[in-house]
Amino acid sequence: MSERSGRARAAFLMGLLLIGAGCVAPPGAWGPAPERSFRLGDLEGQGDPARRASNRLLAEGLDGDAQGRPSQALGLYERALQVDPTNPYAFLALARHHAEGVAPRRALSFLDKAEALLERETPVPPGVEAHLVGLRGAALHAAGRPELAAPMLERARRMAPDAWSDGRLSARELR
Amino acid sequence: MRVAGLTLALVAFGAGFFVAQQAVKLDRVVRARFEGQLFRVPSRVLSAPTILYPGLDFERIGLRGSLVRLGYREQATGELAPGRLRWEPGRLHIHRRAFEHPTRPEPPRSVVMGMAGTRIDSIREAGSGREIGALLLEPELVGAYYGPNREQRALVRLSELPPHLVDAVLAVEDQRFLTHRGIDFRRVLGALWVNVRSGRVRQGGSTVTQQLVKNFFLTPERSLKRKSQEALMALIVEARYEKEEILEAYLNEIYFGQRGSTAVHGIGEAARLYFGKTAGALSPGEAALLAAIIQSPNGLSPHREPEAARKRRDLVLRLMHGQGRIDAATLTASLAEPLGVAAVTPEPREARYFLDALRRQLPTFYGAETLTSEGLQIYSTLDLRLQRLAARTLREELERLERSFPRLAREESPLQGCLVALQPQTGAVLALVGGRSYAMTQFDRCSQARRPAGSVFKPFVYVAALEPRGGQPHITLASRLDDGPLEVRTTSGAWRPENYDGEFHGEVPVREALERSMNVAAARLGQEVGVDQVAAVARRLGVTSRLPRVPSLSIGSADLSPLEIARAYATLAAGGVRPAVRTLEDVVDAEGRTVQRQSIEIERVLDEGTAFLITSILQGVVDRGTGRGIRAAGITGPVAAKTGTSDEERDAWFAGYTPELVVVVWVGFDEPSSLGIPASRAALPIWARFVSEATGGHVRGAFLPPADVEQVAVDPVSGAQALAGCPRSRLEYFLEGTRPEAVCPEWARADGEAPGRWIDRVFGGWRSRR
Repeated sequence: MSERSGRARAAFLMGLLLIGAGCVAPPGAWGPAPERSFRLGDLEGQGDPARRASNRLLAEGLDGDAQGRPSQALGLYERALQVDPTNPYAFLALARHHAEGVAPRRALSFLDKAEALLERETPVPPGVEAHLVGLRGAALHAAGRPELAAPMLERARRMAPDAWSDGRLSARELR
Repeated sequence: MRVAGLTLALVAFGAGFFVAQQAVKLDRVVRARFEGQLFRVPSRVLSAPTILYPGLDFERIGLRGSLVRLGYREQATGELAPGRLRWEPGRLHIHRRAFEHPTRPEPPRSVVMGMAGTRIDSIREAGSGREIGALLLEPELVGAYYGPNREQRALVRLSELPPHLVDAVLAVEDQRFLTHRGIDFRRVLGALWVNVRSGRVRQGGSTVTQQLVKNFFLTPERSLKRKSQEALMALIVEARYEKEEILEAYLNEIYFGQRGSTAVHGIGEAARLYFGKTAGALSPGEAALLAAIIQSPNGLSPHREPEAARKRRDLVLRLMHGQGRIDAATLTASLAEPLGVAAVTPEPREARYFLDALRRQLPTFYGAETLTSEGLQIYSTLDLRLQRLAARTLREELERLERSFPRLAREESPLQGCLVALQPQTGAVLALVGGRSYAMTQFDRCSQARRPAGSVFKPFVYVAALEPRGGQPHITLASRLDDGPLEVRTTSGAWRPENYDGEFHGEVPVREALERSMNVAAARLGQEVGVDQVAAVARRLGVTSRLPRVPSLSIGSADLSPLEIARAYATLAAGGVRPAVRTLEDVVDAEGRTVQRQSIEIERVLDEGTAFLITSILQGVVDRGTGRGIRAAGITGPVAAKTGTSDEERDAWFAGYTPELVVVVWVGFDEPSSLGIPASRAALPIWARFVSEATGGHVRGAFLPPADVEQVAVDPVSGAQALAGCPRSRLEYFLEGTRPEAVCPEWARADGEAPGRWIDRVFGGWRSRR
């Protein structure tokens, strides 16, 4: 009797544990890991008119970065924010721009802002989290903190191998 | 005879010596000018470009006015030339001109915009029909930093100009320019003959070189001495410099009339003013018109005297044809052209305070000399539409206040105010008006004045109390504050704060205390949290002025500028991320190189959850509290704001934000004196009108709680959790881990626990995380 009740108790506890695990797992804000990493093009046609225009300007900025015109790219990211100052992808693009440049600390500020704004996006596009993690790693690496950067870059690599296998996110890969 | 000859020789020698001496002296003057900086070119300040996109309300942004100011002209039929447009029912054709911008060089682009009501429905390339997501228009001129002569010019290079432009000028001003040596004797004799026959001065005989010399070095007086100097200097200039250099200098120097108080000089500026285009893009007819008005820019102004201007233009065209400079077909086509000048819009006067603020933000090496002479292009953050709106709103609303409250209308020291608008996420200054009249006083009350902040400071006290700082916060939104009598001992005696209504309200919920702007509750809260902590929070948010560590700091005794309050509120609006205030984006030198850039700089200084909580309370200020006049004004959507009235109602403030715009308004007298009305009647109406017109009355976006903020049902009386069975309940926001543990008294007093109550205790109070 006591053995049986002990098994039952153990099963009950295990069940509770599983339920609990389900309950306390981080909310699925960022969604399951996608098959391909996030690109700005995934948002085509989404959002209100200001957001759509802002994303178009961002795409042109990323083209500028990809073609080696960083100051033009920067200007277009700022124009994108002029149209929609709450566009998280504009801050993401700014963070990417600065992560490998001369101002990696600035990239961290932009990432923080992008992350905060992304929390309000519904739905959050799958795969963005990999870029947030990876860019934070890249910025920390550029800022001379490789010990902090390495696990983040490794995590980004696992989450989005198509974009982060080389430890960096190019403008084309975000475009 | 010999004596006479000797005398003559001596006189000749003396004259020759005198002329030679004069020539050496004048040569020095000529060289100093030509080999130094030839022209002083004022630096121009340009607005942020207007960006057009599908879905945009083009009436709200004042697109028609922008296009007129940018010099776009209607063209009724045919293929549009750059700078032309055509409004049709439901459509706007526009051939956007090419322009240089630090963001990127924009090529000319002919587009068709579909319009649905007041909105842009689509933007497509005219030829291909390809959809365009966003179209940039040229930035508008905000103003310029002029030297003492207030001359505006845009330098051109001879090599950039079309041959017909040079031909037009030479045809009418100096047809033998390429062959004479500074003085055209044939023309002098011809002019003399005409003038003698008519008995008055009808024709001048000056060459281009002489005109240049006259403008550069001499006064307009008509005397033999001056004429001799002019002739001598013209010969020197011709001897020293190439014809191309002389002509280029002339084309950049010619006077083309006035634009308000500014003198327009040079063909480049004239092309921009009269045709809204670069000199390189002028047609033969347009070139002829500019050449025509050189003789008398004001008397032949195509705006004021179109018929006289046309006659003279036609004369120039015929001279060009007669001298073989244009063919018959061009002559015929150009004669048939209408004058086609763009509307002259006065240089904006609304942005003078902004120009000064921008100048103060520039690095010190951009001194007055540089700014007034080196022809920099300064690309600013200013939204010219909002700037005009801000200036008009402030002026008209102050006048309205004076009419409504005649004691505010004072002759010697009139009622003043200021308005500053920022974009919270980027720190861009979108509008700044530092007073009701720049002509009256240039003191910028937005960035230079420091006035007691009053209650607009209180949110910083609440932030200090709501912020967890690694432990439990001092209060939550379910807390109750004591608004009973308070006495604080200070070195200068006992301090006893009072409320605006002269009453004490006892224990009140946190929200109500701030919504109704209770002084005593805020003062006590500041004492509990610590004045140092309150000051530290204000600093972090963006306040830079001195903050005296006195108990009254909590109710706004510190003197702050509207701009720093705007920055601190921007930090709250941006979820705790503090932006650096920016008035400029890029500075480009006369060669087109970007020599200065001010990028967006942001820094997290407050956790997002706390920023959200204070925003949530400040939304209540607008919905129920001292700022409810905002709703009464018809503004819908997310708005958070705070009124502020300093001691004896000397300063009236209204500071508030939407998700995308922070606006601070101050009203008061320069010599502090009581307004006799609270901020809700003095400053709020200005804020409300500005934001209403800026946003169209409906504010975009939302203030959404971050992930670490949850919503819990609480009992508004006890501040405890409200579970099922509690008689009173409202939802309140809490940072994760700060929800009240206690349950409402009625629930706790209930006899025994009903089945399932433990579930209610654990989950009942939870509603949502957002």
